[in-house]
Amino acid sequence: MNALSAKGINKYFHEPETFQVLKDISFEVQKGEFVAVVGKSGSGKSTLLYLLSTMDTNYEGSISINGTTVTGLSQNQLSRFRNEHIGFVFQFHYLLPEFSVLDNVMLPALKLRKKPKEEIENKARELLSLLDIRGHEMKKASKISGGQQQRVAIARALINEPAIIMGDEPTGNLDSRNTKVVFDIFCQLAKERGQTIIAVTHDDEFAANCDRIIEMVDGEIIRS
Amino acid sequence: MATNINTKISWTHLTSKVRQLIVAVLSVTFGISMYIFMNSFMNGVNGAQTDITFTTMGHIKVYNDLGGAPTILVPLVPHGDTIKNVSNARHITYIDGIRNADEVKQVLQQSRDVVAITEQVNQNVFFRNGVTKVNATLSGIDVANEVQLFNTDQYMTRGDLNELDRRSDAVVLGTGLADKLSVSMGDNVTLSTSDGVTKVLKVTGLMQTGTGSVDKSRALISINTARQLLSKNKSYATEVLANVRDYNKAKIVAAAIRPDIRYKTEAWQEGNGQLESANTLRDIIAIAVSLTILIVAGFGIYNIMNMTVNEKIREIAILKAMGFDGKDIVYIFLMQSIIIGLIGGLVGLLLGFVISAIVDNIPFKIASFDTLPISYLPADYVMAMVFGLIITFVAGYLPARKASKVDPVEILRG
Repeated sequence: MNALSAKGINKYFHEPETFQVLKDISFEVQKGEFVAVVGKSGSGKSTLLYLLSTMDTNYEGSISINGTTVTGLSQNQLSRFRNEHIGFVFQFHYLLPEFSVLDNVMLPALKLRKKPKEEIENKARELLSLLDIRGHEMKKASKISGGQQQRVAIARALINEPAIIMGDEPTGNLDSRNTKVVFDIFCQLAKERGQTIIAVTHDDEFAANCDRIIEMVDGEIIRS
Repeated sequence: MATNINTKISWTHLTSKVRQLIVAVLSVTFGISMYIFMNSFMNGVNGAQTDITFTTMGHIKVYNDLGGAPTILVPLVPHGDTIKNVSNARHITYIDGIRNADEVKQVLQQSRDVVAITEQVNQNVFFRNGVTKVNATLSGIDVANEVQLFNTDQYMTRGDLNELDRRSDAVVLGTGLADKLSVSMGDNVTLSTSDGVTKVLKVTGLMQTGTGSVDKSRALISINTARQLLSKNKSYATEVLANVRDYNKAKIVAAAIRPDIRYKTEAWQEGNGQLESANTLRDIIAIAVSLTILIVAGFGIYNIMNMTVNEKIREIAILKAMGFDGKDIVYIFLMQSIIIGLIGGLVGLLLGFVISAIVDNIPFKIASFDTLPISYLPADYVMAMVFGLIITFVAGYLPARKASKVDPVEILRG
């Protein structure tokens, strides 16, 4: 079973004038693959990622994730689906600044309500120590460094054991040392845990080390 | 548990900005306390006004309404060549007052809403003391029932009202009337009726109702003495007065018993439209002003919640990305304004009560007032809370709905 498959994706922007951003895109991602999507700005790579993330539903074609066809589901069904099956890491950490680090990590799991609170908390602590942020659990998210914040965001993306982690320039706002840390974490997750990861990046070095590169130019995949 | 996490987010948002929370809470507190104070005050004024009014006036009055078409002596139908004309037509069977008041009282007693009934014999008389001659309204009263209706004994400044029952020559004068006559307790005054009957009475009491015109003209004697003065039968009365349980319903009760009574039956509102309209107008002003204050408070909450939503727009986007749906977001932000409404409301109830209690003690010595009138009606407090919550709900719902419509893609792509 593929972790993700996209078939015949077309996407148009209508403002200021109709413009085709994605042109008949089809590809598949295997479970446990660490895929980088690269391309110049304006090539449609971020647009593609947001379609795959199910947050943008305005497209033609069909997308299925982990065997579930997500195209055509209602907003509420998609919210629930994202909650359970997709983890996000963005260029900015987007942690809730008034919450503690631990609370931030637990948030998606508390929303999912599949496990009791104690279990979620143990899991969150485990993830935080895996990502080497032990000792900062009770600090407010706004009080730790940028690299730590991004790692907390990764822990938050992992808490529900999602089928896929999607990253939009996950290292775009980090210095080279922290970039390496995050990259190593992603590699480790893919190799050791069989975690599927799709990351949009313009960092060539980052991309070069991934299992697979999907390169886009003008809304088309030229290499995959 | 989903609501738990949403509530936790709401609460964290609220408590992370304490100053903003206090301002929002205070605006609700102020609105609700003003609502309570305004309404308590207006109700107090209405109540005091009504109390003064009903010191001399029954809720329902039954009396013999003279007038109407004069007696027809000769039918004025044209017949043949004859033209008939009666000039200066008059009533010739002239019946003054209610001849059998017991009958009327029986009818009134049958109504379950009537709580007290009394009969009076009223007439205009002259009082003389030496060369002083003063016009007055003499009321022959049934002491026990009169007290039940009007608490007349409360207004006695000197003497005992019951003295009227004990001696047939006893009279109680209004303080103003006594001054005009230059008499005091124990003095004698001479009374003369319009028919020329005179009687010497002894002043056994003085009363002050607070209504100047009443105090300057009213004199009370026993109803039996009054009947004697007018040479009337034992059950005679000029009017029968009744109080009902709720004076606002006097009109309905009067309408219900009207068909059973031969005389004119009048609810207090019919003769005193100005009182009723003044009460209603005061109520309208109180509600208009206090609702305006509450709505302004609502705008305050709307503004603060809108700012919060704009400030947290990226958090909203990430929550939606993580799987919180529109309903969760509405809950998170609506909860905040409801918490503000509840805290502000409860403090406002307390503050409203305290302000009312303070105003209740402000000296205000005019007429029969000692302090400013305030009434403490539970209904005002309930309504204040209900209005307050409705307004905070609406003011909070609009920004919350806006938050739920945030498109995460737009925000997260930057």
